[in-house]
Amino acid sequence: MDKLGQEWVSAAVDGETDVQTMAELAADTHSHNKWRNYHLIGDAMRGELPQTMAFDLSASIAAAIDLEPAIVSPQVSAPEVNTPVAPGQIAVNGRGSRVVPLFKQFGQYAIAATVAMFAIVGVQNFNQTADDATSPSPVLITRPLVGSASPVSLQTGPVQQNQSYTNDQMNEQRRRINTYIQDHMLQQRLNTGAVVEDNSEVIPVPVNQ
Amino acid sequence: MRLILLALLALVFPAVAQEDMPAKVWLEKMSQALKEKEFKASIIQLQADHIRPLVYLHGKVNNQEVAFLEYLNGPPKNAVRVGNRVTFIEHDQPAYSILSNHIQGVWPAAFSSQMSDLEVGYQFVMGGRTRIAGRPGQMIRLLPNDEYRYGFQIWLDMDTYLPLRYDMLTQDKQLLEQLMVIELIELKEPPSILQEAYKQEWPAVIDQAERQDGQNWQFSWLPAGFSVVVRDHHRLIGSHEAVEYIALTDGLANISVYVARAGSTPLPEELITRNGLSLVSEKVGNAEVVAVGKVPTETLARIAKSLMLE
Repeated sequence: MDKLGQEWVSAAVDGETDVQTMAELAADTHSHNKWRNYHLIGDAMRGELPQTMAFDLSASIAAAIDLEPAIVSPQVSAPEVNTPVAPGQIAVNGRGSRVVPLFKQFGQYAIAATVAMFAIVGVQNFNQTADDATSPSPVLITRPLVGSASPVSLQTGPVQQNQSYTNDQMNEQRRRINTYIQDHMLQQRLNTGAVVEDNSEVIPVPVNQ
Repeated sequence: MRLILLALLALVFPAVAQEDMPAKVWLEKMSQALKEKEFKASIIQLQADHIRPLVYLHGKVNNQEVAFLEYLNGPPKNAVRVGNRVTFIEHDQPAYSILSNHIQGVWPAAFSSQMSDLEVGYQFVMGGRTRIAGRPGQMIRLLPNDEYRYGFQIWLDMDTYLPLRYDMLTQDKQLLEQLMVIELIELKEPPSILQEAYKQEWPAVIDQAERQDGQNWQFSWLPAGFSVVVRDHHRLIGSHEAVEYIALTDGLANISVYVARAGSTPLPEELITRNGLSLVSEKVGNAEVVAVGKVPTETLARIAKSLMLE
């Protein structure tokens, strides 16, 4: 029946049904989504799509991120990403206030959010046996903000032996690493057209003419 | 007979010229091609264990360069360049424009600028030929003149001189980052999407007036070829922490140096990501100097140590 239903919708989109079928279709709320999608596909094939399409991807991405397992330790709550939430709900999220959200927008740096390809979310220390010189180095785990969600691990130099750090300090440290790396990546975008005004010994970055 | 000979000469000469062409001329032709040619390139970008597919279109509409970059995987992420304005269109924030004549994220800005600027830091050396994206490619090495920066290899299309592949390598030839064209199509006229982009109204360029001049920080030592491009003070994204900021570049490698009040939790003294981005921190009294960039950590450490306030 379902299959048959799909064919109806398809035929209706193409304007190949009679009035009676249309009426039945109108009554079938399940098919409305399909109806919309078929039209969308049709529009896309004819190149008649509007300039901007309001697919609300962000909400579903935020939801998906929330569902992801443990690598993300400072859980940036979904509401801060995009979804509007009832005021009461924020209070429940008390822990979130300690973590500065990656996507917080302000001033010039509102443009920052997706500038960084990945954000570091964890420093993990594996050398529990410090006497072994060849033990694995501490590893930073990253989470991509765009693209696939395969984690990249980063290695810190052997200099850092931060075993005495508490969990909070580790969180704080990785947050700070994050902000510096993100800011560096944002600056790469902003600096391409930059010229320092009043410093004669400074040479502007060479960009194509 | 004479005509045939002339025709033969005409055929042979460009080939001979290409054989003897020095590496720098190849690179100059690349720079010109990136600005002049109309083309569509499908590219994959490899960074650590990430692969990102992207499409880059470039053309000229009414004598203005128009380019379009689209990331093909994940949430929509595009950039459009018309003349000297680049607009970023991303899924989670309103589109914004900046003044720039280069879309950051594909080929390094230096590829389409003056090659002589790179000569201080790098040596241009001809390499072998390989087939890339179904086209014959000539490899050019950019060997670092010292141990303070990473090296590069570029493969150029022998017909169009457009870049086909670009590798960033450590001193011991480990691959840090790679950009590879998988399909290159030369176009006769700008594709319709670029013509649309040219007509489109884009958001006004964001005001960067709030980038006040920073303190007069000086470096007692910088690797040859590096110079200051920006200095200001701003607040870091996310943490709102106020920092003094200095940007350095040698044309290919970009370094950011930050001076901030030392936090209660120290940063690691050094850290290397697998795609070559390094971070070094140095505590000076109650301040902290942080240097970030795609260069060896030793370079960053020495730069951080040589910073002084005049």
